[in-house]
Amino acid sequence: MIRPLDSASSSPLHFFGYFLDHRSEDLGWLWDHTWLSVVPVVVGLALALPLGWLARRYQWIYPPMMSITGLLYTIPSIALFVLIPPVLGMDPLNPLQVPIALSLYSTALLVRVVADGLGAVSEETVQAATALGYRPVGRFFRVELPIAVPVITAGLRVAIVANVSIVAVAGTIGMDNLGRLFDQGFTLSVSQPYYPPIVLGIVLCVLLALVLDLLVVLVSRMLTPWRRAVPS
Amino acid sequence: MKTKLIAVAAIATTLTMGLSGCGSSSSSSSSSGSGGTIASKMIFGGPPEFKTRVDGIPGLEKNYGVTFGKYTVTDTGGPVTVNALKRGQVDAVDLFTTDPAIAANDFVILEDPKANFAAQNIVPIVSKDKATPGVRQVLNGIQSKLTTDGLGKMIGEVANAKKDPADVAKGWLTDNSLDTTGSSAKGVSLTVGSANFPENVILANIYAEALKAQGASIQTKLNIGSREKYYPALEKGSLDLFPEYTGTILTYIDKNATATSPADVYAALTKALPANLVALDQADAQDSDAVVVTKATAAKYGLKTIADLAKKG
Repeated sequence: MIRPLDSASSSPLHFFGYFLDHRSEDLGWLWDHTWLSVVPVVVGLALALPLGWLARRYQWIYPPMMSITGLLYTIPSIALFVLIPPVLGMDPLNPLQVPIALSLYSTALLVRVVADGLGAVSEETVQAATALGYRPVGRFFRVELPIAVPVITAGLRVAIVANVSIVAVAGTIGMDNLGRLFDQGFTLSVSQPYYPPIVLGIVLCVLLALVLDLLVVLVSRMLTPWRRAVPS
Repeated sequence: MKTKLIAVAAIATTLTMGLSGCGSSSSSSSSSGSGGTIASKMIFGGPPEFKTRVDGIPGLEKNYGVTFGKYTVTDTGGPVTVNALKRGQVDAVDLFTTDPAIAANDFVILEDPKANFAAQNIVPIVSKDKATPGVRQVLNGIQSKLTTDGLGKMIGEVANAKKDPADVAKGWLTDNSLDTTGSSAKGVSLTVGSANFPENVILANIYAEALKAQGASIQTKLNIGSREKYYPALEKGSLDLFPEYTGTILTYIDKNATATSPADVYAALTKALPANLVALDQADAQDSDAVVVTKATAAKYGLKTIADLAKKG
C-alpha cells in the first residue's frame, strides 16, 4: 500500500489505520475482552472440578449431569445476557452479567472434561497410590488430578477460545469489549460496507485467542514435567 | 428419562423467552380482505416492534386502510433495512427522517397527512436529582439550537465521512458557540447513555461535552443495544441522562398513548414519566418514523402519501 489511505477509507486493509486512530479505545476493549474471556474459565474450572469429581465418584450422577451441562451450552448467549440481570436482580448494565453467563458455559464445557479426565486415571494407579498411603483428598490432588491434566487442558483450550468469540456477542448490547468494533462497523455500513473496524475486531480476537491458547498450553506443560522426561 | 424431558422443556422455555426478548427475525403474512390494493402486493420491512406498535402497522391500517401483503423484520432504521429496500427484497420500509441514506439512495418519504406517526422531537431525559438549574440551563441551551437539518448534517459526517461522533459533537458545539467553559454544572456527576445508532451517540456526546465544559463530572455509557436494556438503567439511576425521542419514549412508557402533535406528545410525556425522571425542553429537531419507498416504486404507482398505498393497484 503506497497510496496513503484517508481515515474514511472503507477498504478492509485500512484496519490498522483505524486502530491507530482509535488506539486508546481499542486497547481498552482488548483488555476488557481479555479478562472477560479468562475469568469465566477460572471460575468454570473451580466449579467443574468438584462437579466432575462427583460425576466420577457417583456413577449415577454422570448421565444426568452431562445432559444438563450439554443443554446449558445450547442456550444462545444473547438470551443469557438478556435474562441474567432480571433473574439475579442486577442492574441491566452491570458488566458482571457477561462473566456470569460465560462462567455457566465454561462450567458446562469443563464438567465433562474433568469427569472424563479423572476417569482416564487407571484403577491400578489409584490402588498403587492408596497402597503408598495416600488418603482420598491427597490422592485426588497429588495423583489423580495431575494425571488428568492433559485431558483437562484440552477442554480448557476449547473453553477459552470459545469464550473469546462469545464475549464479542455482548458488544452488541453495549458491553465494552472487542465486540463493539463489530457493532460499530455494522452501524457505519449505511451507504456501503465499512470494513476497517470489523476486520480489526477479527484480527484482535484471533490474536487474543492464539495468545490465550498458548498460555494454557504453557501452564499445562509446567504442571506435567514428567511428560517431557518420558518420551511418549 | 422424565427428568431429562423436564430439563428439555425448561431450556426450551428459556430459549423462547430470550428470543422474543431480542426480536427474532421472523416474518409473517397477514392476508386480511384488502386484496387488490397497491399495499397488498408489497412486502414491508421494519423493526420487530413496528408490527404491533400503535403507530406502526396497526396505525397504518386504522388511519389509512393500508394493509401490506407481508411484514419482514429487518432492523431499526439501520443498514439491514436500507439495503433490503435498495435490493428490492422489500418494497416499503420504516426509516427515520434524518437518515442520510434516504437522500443518498434517492428514496422517497411518503407524506403522512393524517399524522399517524407521533412527533419525535429530541428531548433529554434526566434523573430528577441530577437536573440542577445549571444542568437544565446547559441542556436547554443545546435543545434550542438543535435543528433537523443540523442533525442530518452531523449524521452524514459520522456515517459517510466516518468522523468520530465525539469530534462531530464538539464541532457542532463550537459552531453554535455553546462550547463556553464555566461552572454552572459544577459538582454534579452524571452518567450519559446512548443507543447504538450514530445520531443518538452524537446527541449524547453533545450533552456530555457541554456539561463537562460547565464543570460537571461526566461518565459515558454509549452504544447500548436496545431500549429494553437502557430504559430500566435510567429508571434505576445507573444512567442519569439520555437523548430520547418524545413519541417513542412516550409509547414505550404508555402503550395506549394517542397524542401525535409535538405539543400533545410532550405534555403526555411529562405526565407519563416516573417521578424520578424529568424531560427537559424538546428541540425543534425531529427524527420521526416514515414510510419510505424507492423512487422507482413511487413513480410506478404514483405514490405521494401513505394513503396512496390503499388505492387499487
